[in-house]
Amino acid sequence: MSSKEDVKREASAVRKSCCFFCHQNCGVLAYVKDGRVLAIEGDPEHPGSRGGLCARGNIALQHLNHPARINVPLKRVGARGSGRWERISWDQALDEISARLMSLKEGYGAETVATAGGTQHCNDWSRRRFMNLFGSPNSFHNAHLCWIPTFMIETAIYGWCPFEIDLANSRLLVLWGHNPGASEMPEMRGIVDLKQNGLKLIVIDPRYTETASKADLWLPLRPGSDVALALAWLNVIIWEGLYDQTFIENCCVGFDELAEHVRQYTPEWAAPLTWLDPELIRKGARMYAANRPGNIQWGTAIDQSGRTAGAGIHARALLRAVTGNLDAPGSDLLCGPSPDFITDEEMEANEWLPEEQKAKQIGADRYKLTTWPGYGRIAAMTREVWGKAPTAEWMCEAHPPSVFRAILTEKPYPVKALIVLATNPVNSYGHTGLVLEALRKVDFLVTMEYWMTPTAMLSDYILPAASALERPTITTTYGCSDTVIASERAIQPMFERKTDYEFWRGLGLRMGQEEMWPWENLEEAFYYRIYPLGYDVGSYDEFVEKHRFHFPEREYYKYSRVGFATPSRRIELVSSTLKELGYPSMPTYVAPAENEIDDPELCRTFPLVLTSGSGFMPYHHSEHFQIKELRFLKHEPYADINPQTAKDLGISMGDWVWIETKRGRIKQKANLTQGVHPKVVVTQRGWWYPEREAAEPELGGCLESNANVLTDVSDEACDPLGGSWANRGLLCRVYRVDPSDAGR
Amino acid sequence: MDTRRCIGCHACTVACKVNNELPIDMIYNPVFTHGPNGVFPHVSMTFYPHLCMHCKNPPCVGCCPTGASRQEADGIVWVDRNTCIGCKACIQACPYHARHPNPRTGTVQKCDFCMERVREGLEAFCVQTCHQRARIFGDLDDPGSAVSHIVRSMNTLQLLPEVGTDPQVYYIVSPGGQV
Repeated sequence: MSSKEDVKREASAVRKSCCFFCHQNCGVLAYVKDGRVLAIEGDPEHPGSRGGLCARGNIALQHLNHPARINVPLKRVGARGSGRWERISWDQALDEISARLMSLKEGYGAETVATAGGTQHCNDWSRRRFMNLFGSPNSFHNAHLCWIPTFMIETAIYGWCPFEIDLANSRLLVLWGHNPGASEMPEMRGIVDLKQNGLKLIVIDPRYTETASKADLWLPLRPGSDVALALAWLNVIIWEGLYDQTFIENCCVGFDELAEHVRQYTPEWAAPLTWLDPELIRKGARMYAANRPGNIQWGTAIDQSGRTAGAGIHARALLRAVTGNLDAPGSDLLCGPSPDFITDEEMEANEWLPEEQKAKQIGADRYKLTTWPGYGRIAAMTREVWGKAPTAEWMCEAHPPSVFRAILTEKPYPVKALIVLATNPVNSYGHTGLVLEALRKVDFLVTMEYWMTPTAMLSDYILPAASALERPTITTTYGCSDTVIASERAIQPMFERKTDYEFWRGLGLRMGQEEMWPWENLEEAFYYRIYPLGYDVGSYDEFVEKHRFHFPEREYYKYSRVGFATPSRRIELVSSTLKELGYPSMPTYVAPAENEIDDPELCRTFPLVLTSGSGFMPYHHSEHFQIKELRFLKHEPYADINPQTAKDLGISMGDWVWIETKRGRIKQKANLTQGVHPKVVVTQRGWWYPEREAAEPELGGCLESNANVLTDVSDEACDPLGGSWANRGLLCRVYRVDPSDAGR
Repeated sequence: MDTRRCIGCHACTVACKVNNELPIDMIYNPVFTHGPNGVFPHVSMTFYPHLCMHCKNPPCVGCCPTGASRQEADGIVWVDRNTCIGCKACIQACPYHARHPNPRTGTVQKCDFCMERVREGLEAFCVQTCHQRARIFGDLDDPGSAVSHIVRSMNTLQLLPEVGTDPQVYYIVSPGGQV
């Protein structure tokens, strides 16, 4: 019999907190007493989640109180990776870390310090603020795989990224490599609601996903061939006369040139590249063009496809422009940054980073769009038109694989220190072999974490991080939305956990940055950020209690008042910004890094096509494998394989199989499913085994089932525009694990 | 249970487990995936969330030697753990595998529709947590309730109707859908 209702009645307060196990930040009501959280439940008044919580959202208390959490600062005492630690105080940790960073700066320049981030668990403006004041341009995330190349290419051609979709007024939604049915529950609820009212749904995905099972049309393309499909859709829409002539005349430049350019990309041309029937390609293009207004919702798939990513994103972006599906009711909206509250970018102190330090950003010589050369140009334009710039953290970062290579080769210069927050690069960043070698070699490694991850195991210091219920959260789509949703902390951090803000501020105070860190805690900083909204509140928490969110009145056709933030002040179907950066001004076909057409020799050894990196319940990235209330659902990793292929290879349901690419092999269990093409293999991402030894050489089983052992981060595999490395569309082979050959 | 809306995310399974503090291997409400059926690329897939069917004619109640297995006037079927002796007769009798032995307590447990919450006018944990609103809870005895309207007007099915227990859980399925 449940006694939770009695427990709730004991609470002295109910706090409006949130979940941060993905980007949705669903509302959580926390019942608290004496600094403890007694119970949680979904907040029915939250505008996004409306009371719902997914499997992850339900384990907030298990995460908060888990016996394996890191609760105090730890300093390595044995050899690196030996698993021997001593407990130290926060003051000692911050004193020693800041002294070491200062001495490295003296010896090698500030750029020798780099920092790696994760997703959503941090206030990354404080990281950037510290790094700018310290003088290093080398912070990074997995940004290059997740939205950022899309944001920057779309901003280059339309003047902002239309991530806000007006679905309630739409007739058709395209989910292009996006599976909200496993990754974004509140969004999926909206889609299912609207489908019952007639919304049409096209899902483009190599895998028959939860979302595809609700679709009107499913296009199972070859992984990594998205650019061919997008170019063929442009061909159909333009050459069948399905475009929006009025919008193009009023808002765009370069249509004739684009039309001539895409003439070559017929559905018949795209068919052998995408493995889709030309008529199916036509059907999709016609559906999107005929059902206006319509939306193309962003998904990570193209972002993760390596060297073909930029061209694919560019071609997809042009589809909205030629159909007029931009900023009109029901379409994808160019809301722009908030004119009303202080954005992330305004908190970053980017003006403090000297030009000569910006020029040293690793990867800026090759991946110009998502580093200072491209970001600087685009930010200057958005400032002119919108008055503000996109967040530099995320949009303008060092190229992670190049940083790891710099640690090993000291080229272009030595990178001696790496600070890791809320990410586990061993499992989350591309080509694990490279990452592990770099982490073992780097002179100074600091990790702020919840868990003893494989990366934490290799660190010199581990600092305990506060989790969702222990810190306030502001949700602003990486600082780029004009809306804000605010959540308060349920309790002060337990044990000696702290927020990342306190960590960066603590370092800053020890390095003479006192004047730049006036806010003692996040609530003070957040109050400063929302104060200009003009609500009658005396604190951040009061804003949460009374208002919770700020949604400005929706304004369609904003461009007619503001203009497009491009050099021509119109949507550039032929992009001058990309051309100035040395990239094609229109998207041209780029083949996946590994493919059967260009490299038949490789294909003989590795005849199947691998895709990896998509979200699946109940995990997120490389998180939650230690939480038994989730692990019981999927105790082991699974790879999707078509039953016919499995039969040919002598593989049965549930067999452990090796999945191997040129770079290495991993073990997952075979899930036989008609939901994938006979030539496609889909592996789950992120897997490691917290139940294994937390020291070398085991390192939590971090290599055994880790899909990033297979991925390719070589410069040839990376997208020249945005630096994306290849998770999707790689060549692989699969074979049963022979018990006599079960080692790595 | 609206199978047109369920996406098999297992939020209900986990919400039930953590809130009712179930042992790790005990699951009151699994979600079953049917499919993908067919041959690539012509496939379909449906998710079926389960729980105790709270049958109108519950065979698990009549077979209980101590009277621990009960049916309330409002239809909720539950087990009084104070009088259950763990004989497992009810487990044998239930055609839906909805009853679970707990070796630690020596009794049998099952979904009780979160009776305590329902009596306070709250939704069961699995209903409250569902983003998709695939679980719809209400009073089938009230002809004016939303669930009565659904059962009267929509394409709904019961699981294993042939065993004659008259389960009080209905599945909304797409036209042509099967369980």
